[in-house]
Amino acid sequence: MNNEKFSVFSGLWKDNPILCSLMVISPVIVCGDTLRNAEAIIYAFSAITLFSVTIASFLPKNLPYAVRIIINALVASLVYIPVKRAAQEFFPDIIPRIGIYFPLLAVNSIIILQTEAKFFKMKKPRMIASTVFYILGFDAVIAFISVVREIFGHGTLNEKVISTNAVISGLGQPFGGFIFLGLLCGLYRWLRHGKQLSGGDKNVSDN
Amino acid sequence: MFLITELIAFLCANLILTRALGTSTMFIAAGSRKNLIGTAAVITVFTTIGSAFAYIIDSILPQSLDDIRLLLYVAATGLIYVGLLFILKKFSGKNFVKYRRYVHISAFNCAVMGTIFTVSGTAENMGFFGYISAGLEAGAGFVAASLILTAAYRRLNSKRVPESFRGFPAMLVYLGIISMALYALK
Amino acid sequence: MDNKKNKSHEWLELIITLFGLSVVSSFYYGERFIFLCGVCIGVSFLTEIISIKLMHRKLTSDCLYSIADAMMISLMLPAVFSVKSAAVACIFAVVVKNIFGGKSNTIFSPAAAAYVFMLTSWKDDLLKYPDVNTKYAVGEKVKEFFNSASHSFNMEGRTGISNLDLMLGNFIGASGTVIIFLLVVSAAVLILRRGISAGAFLGTVIGTVIMAFIIPATDDIIESAKYSLCMNMTLFSAIYIISDRRTAPRRNFYAFFYGLFTAVVSYVIIATTAQENAIVIVSVLAAPAALGIRNLENKIKIADKADEKREAETVEQ
Repeated sequence: MNNEKFSVFSGLWKDNPILCSLMVISPVIVCGDTLRNAEAIIYAFSAITLFSVTIASFLPKNLPYAVRIIINALVASLVYIPVKRAAQEFFPDIIPRIGIYFPLLAVNSIIILQTEAKFFKMKKPRMIASTVFYILGFDAVIAFISVVREIFGHGTLNEKVISTNAVISGLGQPFGGFIFLGLLCGLYRWLRHGKQLSGGDKNVSDN
Repeated sequence: MFLITELIAFLCANLILTRALGTSTMFIAAGSRKNLIGTAAVITVFTTIGSAFAYIIDSILPQSLDDIRLLLYVAATGLIYVGLLFILKKFSGKNFVKYRRYVHISAFNCAVMGTIFTVSGTAENMGFFGYISAGLEAGAGFVAASLILTAAYRRLNSKRVPESFRGFPAMLVYLGIISMALYALK
Repeated sequence: MDNKKNKSHEWLELIITLFGLSVVSSFYYGERFIFLCGVCIGVSFLTEIISIKLMHRKLTSDCLYSIADAMMISLMLPAVFSVKSAAVACIFAVVVKNIFGGKSNTIFSPAAAAYVFMLTSWKDDLLKYPDVNTKYAVGEKVKEFFNSASHSFNMEGRTGISNLDLMLGNFIGASGTVIIFLLVVSAAVLILRRGISAGAFLGTVIGTVIMAFIIPATDDIIESAKYSLCMNMTLFSAIYIISDRRTAPRRNFYAFFYGLFTAVVSYVIIATTAQENAIVIVSVLAAPAALGIRNLENKIKIADKADEKREAETVEQ
């Protein structure tokens, strides 16, 4: 029972989609430089992923793998339409902020691949709970990254000027996202595993 | 001189290094020569044919139905996905099981979908061949970025790298520095 | 035995030559430069110690490479550059170097990576210089900034600097990268002591000269070659960045072509875009090429060993 409980929450920390599995990192790197952008991505990702995974879970399991993948993607593309309409209606500046990453969130690897690998093997209530925590894990990380990058990259927070003394403008650029995310992933691993690293990378070899 | 400036411009427009599209797939591609060839070839096929489909969809779809553009792109990519699996099964025989994974990981990848959207977004005066060449260029960009990562792959996975950073974190920092240098040249 | 001794003290030879450049820079720019250099060295060394401790590794003399890198960074900056920004860049250089596995696994020259980091984060501050021979106290506000001589050369194709001033570094630019006479002496010393890759150095110099002949920046081809080598940190980068033994290919034959390639690409970029100090940026972009060549060298070495073993077995039989 403890193991089952543990795995439901795993998306938040132990199996965080960004820090552990490096999924959906493109919008984090490029758009995750301000809190406003992060809010837009959080809204789009959360809504699309939760509804897509839930709806797609009702599909028959005996279809060929490739067909299931395509249907998952098509379901997500259909869910994208009302999410986009709602964004246009209630948060009009979201879509111009994140550009092509808005539709790309609809075909993120959690919906396309993780559903088949993990979620659809669970019972529905656990699946939904697990999805929610995966989404929360993603949201927490992108929010944190965006806050740090906005403060130190632009000297603002939520578009209000905080300080211009400690600005490293490179942090707000995509390359800054790459480097910062890499450092954060390393820190995450160090915090999780401490001195030992179990189940490390493949192809570890001496130079 | 022309070749060098074109090479720099090509790298500066690279979708992976400037927009982080397809980074995870590239990590897989850089792991070995076999993975690199397999993934790069399949991604290039997807981006090229996908761009061709994008041209057809963009030509037919009116602006008022922009909401279903993603749906049509996904359907087109799905067709390419099934078509490629079918062709692979017909011509690779016993090796189908070995090679099909390249098709699976490439299909609904950010590199492919991102290319289609990028091409569509910058396609004001481009004709059919303009779309196709943009798709080919994106595929070539993926190959270039994968080669850049392959050169450092062994070092980044070496035991000399601290355990916490070995592999993906070090690769991200490495790509970030290359991207930083390209940004400095822009 | 002598080779082993040399290898473990490469950093010492670099520091000695960089120290000479620092002394002359402090003569031109006074206590401001000394303070900047001191902060860079202090921050780099402290960051190195902390990184080594966090990685549970032993402190060795290789840690002193961080001092050499810090001195290189300080010599590439305007003497009045923000100390805070320089400190951040030094921390970045050391952290990145250690993330990649330290001295024996370096991918990028730490000084080059730090310079490109500063170029993308504080470009305006990095490319504005005080007048040469104007000494500012620590904390004193700079009265006037100027574009570097490299900037004038890139934009207009001329500098108006006499040969004597060129040799002595008596013109506007990054503190330690313009003292041409001292750089030439440093290059000779380091090549003779095998502190840097001779192949890479020669490749860079010859590549720059050839390009200056093919696409001259001035009417006079000799003047074009002279200024192409002396401006845009070309000579400094040829010695301390491209020829860095940690990153350049090991065999001089391959290192020559690596240096040549870097020089040609950077010359073209300067000629087409007037990008100042392009060679430093290109050295970062060329790092994958250097790694590819090193991988090739390793494969050749393994193949040679296998051949020798086979021959020995054949002879035995």
